[in-house]
Amino acid sequence: MEEFVGEIWHKLISRQANTDFANATVQLDPLQSQLATYYRALGGAPGVSIDGADERVIRTHRRFAQKLAGSHLRFAVAWQDDRSLRLPVKLAFFEDPELNLELYYWLTAMAARLPRMRHWLKDNQRATLELFEHRPKLQQAYQRLAEACIALRPDPSTLKDSLGERERLLQQAILQPGTVDELPGAKGAPNPIPLWIYPPPWQDLMVETEDDLDDQGEGGPQEQPTVEGSRKQAKRFDDSKQTDGLMVFKLEALFTWAESVDLDRPQEENLDEDLEGAAEDLDIITLSKKRRAGSSNIKFDLDLPAPQNDDLPLGDGMKLPEWDYRKQIMLDDYCLLQPMLNDEALPEPIPEELRAQAKILRHRFSQLRPNKTWQRKQPYGDEIDMDAWLEHLTQIQNTRQSPRHQNFYKHRNDPQRELACLLLSDLSLSTEANLNDDKKVIDMIRETMVLFAEALSGSGDPFAIYGFSSIKNKQVRYQMLKNFNEPYGDEARGRILAVKPGFYTRIGAAIRQSTEILKMQKAQQRLMLILSDGKPNDIDRYEGRYGIEDTRRAIQEAKMAGLQPFCVTIDEQGNDYLPYLFGDQGYAVINDVNRLPQMLPKLYLNLTGLAG
Amino acid sequence: MNSSVLNYLPQGREVEIFTHAANNKLPVLIKGPTGCGKTRFVEHMAQQLDRRVYTVSCHDDLTASDLVGRHLIGADGTYWQDGPLTRAVREGGICYLDEVVEARKDTTVVLHPLSDHRRILPIERTGELIEAHPDFMLVISYNPGYQNLMKGLKPSTRQRFVALSFEYPSPEQEVVIVCQESGLDKQTVQQLVKLGNDLRRLKDHDLEEAASTRLLIYTAMMIRSGLPAAEACRVCLAQPLSDDTETLAALEKLISGHF
Repeated sequence: MEEFVGEIWHKLISRQANTDFANATVQLDPLQSQLATYYRALGGAPGVSIDGADERVIRTHRRFAQKLAGSHLRFAVAWQDDRSLRLPVKLAFFEDPELNLELYYWLTAMAARLPRMRHWLKDNQRATLELFEHRPKLQQAYQRLAEACIALRPDPSTLKDSLGERERLLQQAILQPGTVDELPGAKGAPNPIPLWIYPPPWQDLMVETEDDLDDQGEGGPQEQPTVEGSRKQAKRFDDSKQTDGLMVFKLEALFTWAESVDLDRPQEENLDEDLEGAAEDLDIITLSKKRRAGSSNIKFDLDLPAPQNDDLPLGDGMKLPEWDYRKQIMLDDYCLLQPMLNDEALPEPIPEELRAQAKILRHRFSQLRPNKTWQRKQPYGDEIDMDAWLEHLTQIQNTRQSPRHQNFYKHRNDPQRELACLLLSDLSLSTEANLNDDKKVIDMIRETMVLFAEALSGSGDPFAIYGFSSIKNKQVRYQMLKNFNEPYGDEARGRILAVKPGFYTRIGAAIRQSTEILKMQKAQQRLMLILSDGKPNDIDRYEGRYGIEDTRRAIQEAKMAGLQPFCVTIDEQGNDYLPYLFGDQGYAVINDVNRLPQMLPKLYLNLTGLAG
Repeated sequence: MNSSVLNYLPQGREVEIFTHAANNKLPVLIKGPTGCGKTRFVEHMAQQLDRRVYTVSCHDDLTASDLVGRHLIGADGTYWQDGPLTRAVREGGICYLDEVVEARKDTTVVLHPLSDHRRILPIERTGELIEAHPDFMLVISYNPGYQNLMKGLKPSTRQRFVALSFEYPSPEQEVVIVCQESGLDKQTVQQLVKLGNDLRRLKDHDLEEAASTRLLIYTAMMIRSGLPAAEACRVCLAQPLSDDTETLAALEKLISGHF
């Protein structure tokens, strides 16, 4: 009974407090790609993606019912940083769904004009004016939004002195943008303005000191009414100077025996399972950057994962030879190569940020599908070859053969391009190196593989993608990402996007296996593209000259088998050893790794002679 | 276009450069995006220099004999018919090969002896060797856009030309051009050009090709003849540029901000 009454009470109060128009809700999700196009057209940076914005705490002046219901504490407002534009996941602000939809476009347009926000109040008004300047109809649309927005805001005359004055000025700023330079200080933050872009939640925390906002504008902190609320959202915590959490221990104590005690310890720290729930419960998520990574972590990366956590091994593995240059002999059955399949990777669509590029590439490559062409001077065909006939007539005296033996027809043929490509990717631990603040080498390799696959699926050429890493000669892990027979789709893409770096680079065995696979393809031109980030190495003797000699041997075997190996590396020192391995026309060093995803398809065109 | 003088608004010094090239009997290569005024420029220069233009739109089925000429069958047996290139070489004039990269590469090789100091055209079929008329000039053009990834000019062909690179005109110039060509009032044209520049930002990302000056002129003509501006933009600027519904929806929205 208690619960029942409570529930009714809750409903009643929430309804009282609610200001959303649920019937007029417009969702962001189906609009995302349209908005992205709109954003770019209005001058937004092309790489910025559009995502949903989390709600943030803004301490506004709440009505009694709202306080009672505990609502109106958090608001989803639009903001953007260098990477993405964040818009509310749904908008139900206005009664008319048309207006809510219009609001999404308006926010996108505003964001395109506000790549960096210095002053919330002034910048928003300035951006509004800038948008009007060139697009008169946009002004009309805005006017509708602004009027609807004012209608939903509190009447300034009902608010106490400074609160009322601030509200009055804000409403003026909305209706006549560019006319308000400063807001009076007042308690709390004003009600969020849905038409404006807000600063990123942590913007004020990017400065190293956690001081007040004196340096945020000419007029001091009262000009930044929202920042107060937003500052509580996230905290960047610089703990580089503090001692890290590892306790002092004596090294010799590591190797001691401990008595095993049969004790059932209940596990409570299963945070992994409900991280999202935990994140939702937290108002403040503290982020910190460990400057001295490694000093506080001890990772045992080198151990193989437990079988139940590992990818599915396909078969018992294959024994492959290895070249020992010191003895100048082939060590037969020396390496055990284990084909692996990540059977737990879920099918994935193309990542949003790659979609546009993938579309362009697929389109370009689809134009490479071989066209039907006319073959002239055929003994039979669909049409008479007038040129051949005329040539025969005009030069009859030169022609030794009688017309019967002449070929006077044109035939339209359907040429098959004889081309198969295998992409072999280095997935060793070195690819986990950071490229810049938010990207690692492996991310680039993933993107490259996805774009490459998208491009080739457009051209219709058969292709396969494999990845490899190794732990000595006992296990060369050969990841099947897409084989030649499988059609390319979400499942293969899921596997590509799920690749994880690990272990070392015993490249010789992987090349030998790829050679075997590629040899089975019946195409005329068979291309083996190797994507690498450095020299071959493993923890045993497979490094330096040994590794290089074995790799060279494997490449030569591939060439003997009629394949065309080609290496793409991001190793700046690649010029030192790659000519020896691949020949001076057989490799490319990419200096700007960011361009790798676009470069590889282009390279493919050049290699296959399609670029002409 | 009839005998009236063609309007052309120079973007830079292309008129002078072209004249110098013509005086020195050098061939010219013009590159630039679709609809930025390459063909118009050539026609304008031909008028200025008082030479005839022989235009050949290249395609991938174009053979050397389409350029040079072929034997035809007449009432009295076969006879030789000059192609556009041969005619220009004989009579003097500008031979303009539009979108030359579309032609197969073996086709463009016939241009080699014409485009260097020899200025001759050997005709294999008849055994003739024609020396070019002093007024003969070879002009080729192409769009270095997406096709260029797969097709390009052979380097040996490229380096025989004086190259001019065209871009879309600046907004101020474009307003003048669109006004002139369509006869639409300046205010609407200014708005149209702003819209066009918004659309050009989408090139390479959402659209394969940007809204060309030609498309803007078409739109302006449609508006002038009475179509509502927003509708004209939709049918002339949005629909021709994309088939993707999502992109089209964004373009519509963009248009509604302008008209």
